[in-house]
Order: sequence, then C-alpha cells, then structure tokens
Amino acid sequence: MNRKLVISLGAAAIIGLIALFFYGIYFASDPKSIPSALIGTKATDFTTITFLEDRQITLSQFKGKPVIVNFWASWCVACRQEAHIIEAAHQRWTPKGAVFIGIAINDERAASLGFIAKYGKSYLLAPDDLTGNISLNYGVTAVPETFFVDPEGIIRHKVLGAVNGRDIDQFISKYIQ
Amino acid sequence: MKFVKSPIIALVIALFFFTTPAIADEALEHKVKELAHQLRCPTCQALSVKESEAGLATNMKTKIREMLVEGKSDEQVLQFFVDRYGEWILRSPPKTGTNLLLWLAPGVLTAFAAFSVIFVLKSKPKKANKTLKPLSDAEKAKIDQALDDIS
Repeated sequence: MNRKLVISLGAAAIIGLIALFFYGIYFASDPKSIPSALIGTKATDFTTITFLEDRQITLSQFKGKPVIVNFWASWCVACRQEAHIIEAAHQRWTPKGAVFIGIAINDERAASLGFIAKYGKSYLLAPDDLTGNISLNYGVTAVPETFFVDPEGIIRHKVLGAVNGRDIDQFISKYIQ
Repeated sequence: MKFVKSPIIALVIALFFFTTPAIADEALEHKVKELAHQLRCPTCQALSVKESEAGLATNMKTKIREMLVEGKSDEQVLQFFVDRYGEWILRSPPKTGTNLLLWLAPGVLTAFAAFSVIFVLKSKPKKANKTLKPLSDAEKAKIDQALDDIS
C-alpha cells in the first residue's frame, strides 16, 4: 500500500475530526439562534379573547395586514425591556394598518393585567389557552419571542429575546408606507 | 352459599371497576413520560421535557397527554413537535440523510486515523530494511582489515 497516500489520508482524517469537534462546540449549537421550522410557512390560525376589551380575536381576521405576534409573560425580565418598544411601534403603525398581538403564556391572569397596566400596553393582548396550544403551534422556545407575519399570513421572521423597534419598522414598512 | 358468594363477586366487580381506570392512568402517564423523555426542553435545552419543570415543558407534557387520549400514535405525537420546532426538538435525531453522515463521520474518521497510525508504525522497519544496501567487496575488505588490525 502506498505509504504516502495512507499518511495523507490519515492526516486528513485527524484534521476532519478536529474540525468536527470545533464545529460542534462553536457553530452547531448556539442556543440564542434556534432556527424556526416555521419560517416561510403559513401561520397557524388561533382564536383568543383579549384581556382589556374582552373581545374575541382570530389571526385570520387580519389577513391583508402585516401582523406582529409577540409571546410574553409578566414574570419575564426581557419582556419588561421590550414592553415600551412594542407599544411605541403599535402607536406608530396600528393607525396605518398594522396589527400587534401579544399572547401571554404560562401566566396568571391578574399578573398579566398588572403588567399591562404597569407598562401601559394598549394593543391586542390576550392569554394563551390552558394547554398552551397557541405557543406550542408557533414552536415557542422561551419568552419573549416575536413572529412577523406578512399580509398573506406567512411567517417571515422570528426574534428570540427582546425585539427592537428597527426590526419591526423594517418589516412593516415593506407593506405599509 | 349464595349469601357468601355474592359479596365476593361484588367485591371483585368493584375492584375491577376501581382499579382498571387507575391502571389505564398509570399506563398513560408512563407513555407520556416515555415520549417526553425523547423531546428536548425548548427553554432549558440540557434537559428533556420529562425532566424539566419549565412552563413550556409542562405545556408540552399536557399536549402529549391530550394527543394520546385522542388516540394519536407515538409517531404522530413526536411529529407534531418536529413540525413546529424542527428535528432539533428530538434528543436523538433520526439517523438518515445528513444526520446519518454526522452520526457516522466521527467513528469512520477515528477508525481511519487509527488505521493510518498503525500502518505507518508497522511499515517503518520494512522501509528501513529496504534502504540498506549490501556491502561492496571493497567495504568488506576494509572491515576485515580493520578487524585484523584490532586483533
């Protein structure tokens, strides 16, 4: 057997092993960027009743408008950071036709209401059901998590962690001037 | 005799009706745990859904239980979560396609690296023998002369 060839292939195998090791540690498992299997797919329709107006809302009733669906909880620290950001974006864009929905998950109703009052949230805010079907259908991994749904009802983008106003503006301005 | 038998039969019937749902519940809970063990907790990823007490993991266990009660198979339950979270949610991804390559690559590479090292170590002496040239007559004569000089 050709000794040089075996040495070259052996060296390549060792380099490959080292490369796999570093890929696994540094690139293959970033917990902050969990890919969503739902990007580019139709957003699952849901129905819930809002906290403030006691009004039944269904995602599909907003077809034709860009929708921001934000999952939050009163006990979540990052949700406090983004509360004003989403409320400000709602004030900017809802009069022009965008829709903002906040779904509270794994939260006590009284705590959710307290959070809404404390941070002056005024968009469509509603609880998930008892099983958590809405958040499970969206593959939510933690709160806060925000889904950007286009006017056709397709999920175009997801943000894990506190969302920023620039992302919201960029997304909505594609559909509304 | 009838008097003796009837309470016993009544007891057996009562036991049957009281214990059957308990056994069914136990079997259901066992199945829920089994499936929850195969899923990764989305919030605390080092744990399985079974081990995790996070809110989302609790919701997932409830969902698994609901689906099993509805008559869904194990595969349907797992697929429900894969469809929404991706294969990432499975603690042991299926060994097909790219996954299979990733499963096999470390073993194959390690085996090949080990084979190469063994091959190189074993072939070294042979190579040394091959490079030795036989002594020429002049060299042999020189050595003999040197030996004679010493003695």
